[in-house]
Amino acid sequence: MNILEHLYQHKVIPLELWGIDVSITNGVITMWVALVLVFLFFWLASRKPKLVPGPLQNLAEMFITFTRDEIGSQIEIETEKWLPFLVTLFAFILVNNLLGLIPGMGGSTTNINTTAALAFIVFAIVQAAGLYHLGLRGYLKKYIPEGIPFFIVIFMIPVEIVSQLARPFSLAVRLFANMFAGHAVMLLLISMIFIFHNYIIIPIPVLGDLAFLAFELFIAAIQAFVFTYLTAFYIATAVEEEH
Amino acid sequence: MIPQAAAFLGAGIGMGLAAAGTGIGVGILAAKALEGIARQPEMAGNIRTSMILAIAFVEAIALYALVTCLILATKV
Repeated sequence: MNILEHLYQHKVIPLELWGIDVSITNGVITMWVALVLVFLFFWLASRKPKLVPGPLQNLAEMFITFTRDEIGSQIEIETEKWLPFLVTLFAFILVNNLLGLIPGMGGSTTNINTTAALAFIVFAIVQAAGLYHLGLRGYLKKYIPEGIPFFIVIFMIPVEIVSQLARPFSLAVRLFANMFAGHAVMLLLISMIFIFHNYIIIPIPVLGDLAFLAFELFIAAIQAFVFTYLTAFYIATAVEEEH
Repeated sequence: MIPQAAAFLGAGIGMGLAAAGTGIGVGILAAKALEGIARQPEMAGNIRTSMILAIAFVEAIALYALVTCLILATKV
């Protein structure tokens, strides 16, 4: 019975598979809508590509070149091959964040499970990329820096492992906390009306919520960008050769 | 002190300290970024992008504290 229960997702179609709760919630429906939107946008934009682009193709090209120049430029090896993954990640997280701000739709990134799933996917891809490009020996060599005495190496290995595990954790918590905190602050502003028990106070929370919603739009875009930027950074550091 | 009161107190103080640290951090960051833009105005776009990226990292740490304080204030 806490006040934040208004921000949780609730089940729409309860389902259960062998004891695991896989019911369709608000957040799942939001993710499906985001999936359809992202797919339709990029598919329609690339159907009949012209040299002088129409509006939809132009928008998609701006998006992709922004991702390629700002985010994908960190990866030295095979930059173009990573681009579909990075663009999809960026667009999917952006649309999910923005859909969560619509009143009535349950947010998907306001739930730690969604962001943890995305961070786990990134973690798996980073480790797989490191193993694929460097081989097992090169991948393990990254945990042992050069030219330090042997008894410090025994300390360094758990430290490196923990820092590798802390990365997806921080990705998940950063995205979740930014989105959830935005909703929580808006809820707290609205609850001022219930605390004051008076209609006079109404302009203050409503105008404050309006201003904060504009800020939340900005934060939604920034957090999607930061997630994708950090993904590219982790891929770049996992794939590069030791120099 | 009953545990509920201690949890509320901890939540408030914790978030206040985290907000103070974040304010100082973002302030220093923005000052250095503005200095860089003033020295070399043609790099303004690059510097602005890097500044926003770094602000997102600093804010993330404050939001770790926020999540912990929300758990303290609403669950104990």
